[in-house]
Amino acid sequence: MKFSVYRYNPETDNEPYMQAFEVEARQGMMLRDALMAIQEQDESFTFRHSCGEGVCGSDGVNVNGSNKLACITPLSELKETVEVRPFPGRPVIRDLVVDMSQFYAQYKQVDPWLIRKEPLPEQEILQSPEERDKLDGLYECIMCGCCSTACPSFWWNPDKFLGPQALLSACRFLADSRDQASEERLNSLEGPYKLFRCHTIMNCVEACPKGLNPTKAIGHIKEIMLKDAI
Amino acid sequence: MSRQASGLWAWFLQRATAIYLMLFILYVLQHMIFHAPADHAAWQAWVAQPLVSLGGLLFFASLLLHAWVGIRDVIIDYVHPTAIRVSVLTVIGFVLVGCAAWVLQIIILAQIA
Repeated sequence: MKFSVYRYNPETDNEPYMQAFEVEARQGMMLRDALMAIQEQDESFTFRHSCGEGVCGSDGVNVNGSNKLACITPLSELKETVEVRPFPGRPVIRDLVVDMSQFYAQYKQVDPWLIRKEPLPEQEILQSPEERDKLDGLYECIMCGCCSTACPSFWWNPDKFLGPQALLSACRFLADSRDQASEERLNSLEGPYKLFRCHTIMNCVEACPKGLNPTKAIGHIKEIMLKDAI
Repeated sequence: MSRQASGLWAWFLQRATAIYLMLFILYVLQHMIFHAPADHAAWQAWVAQPLVSLGGLLFFASLLLHAWVGIRDVIIDYVHPTAIRVSVLTVIGFVLVGCAAWVLQIIILAQIA
């Protein structure tokens, strides 16, 4: 199977270039396996990966134009020549490895932890099954970055727009019956940038390897905001 | 209110005006299909009806507000240098307010005539 892979080493290359590789595809082979085979052919080829089963979220790459997790993308689903590039819009550190610091900084901005104002009880804070159900589709995010780096609004304003990943997390804590900082969370999202740069393009939904729906979560935040405002 | 431009308010305004625009366009379309005015005088009489002219005023107000939010969004997305952004927004603001004045002039003149 033919591959065309993005190569860039800022220490030795003036410009990024695409390099052709050929890998023998076996049945059930994932893209990550192919990238490892490419690394065997050329040890200088660099990419992030770890768990190999779509849990750690390390090996997000842009494959034939869409962001995917290499470890759960079967080669059989890909059209030849498979073009593998780093996430769009992020500074490249080397080959497929990009700098995700801005993405993490945006995540940090939404205070992604439970905030209690009442003193913490001795035991755990109980939730009804219905309250727990509200977290489904929000808590499963593995922060691979496939969604935010596929989002045009995040490309244009990555410093000001929080991006689908951070907003999904914001929604996860707004939806949590145990959290007591909804007011502050909503206030911090006001303004034209952090939340409202989302124009429901929905690239995030298409890209999410965990099948989550950040656009729906963003719509839900807007709904809560409106309810809270009037 | 924060010192920022609005987020929630602009978003709500865009959606609310969109609904009104759609309803009014549907109303005008059905009028043109089923009760098409025979001549210019009939058209004038229809437009001069208080509810129709009020609806028309609201239509243009909604259209201009809707356009303002939409264009502002495009500019916030793509035009980053502050000086250019402020200039472009100001020019567009003037054009939209000019359009509003023009609409008022037309409707008021029609009422007098």
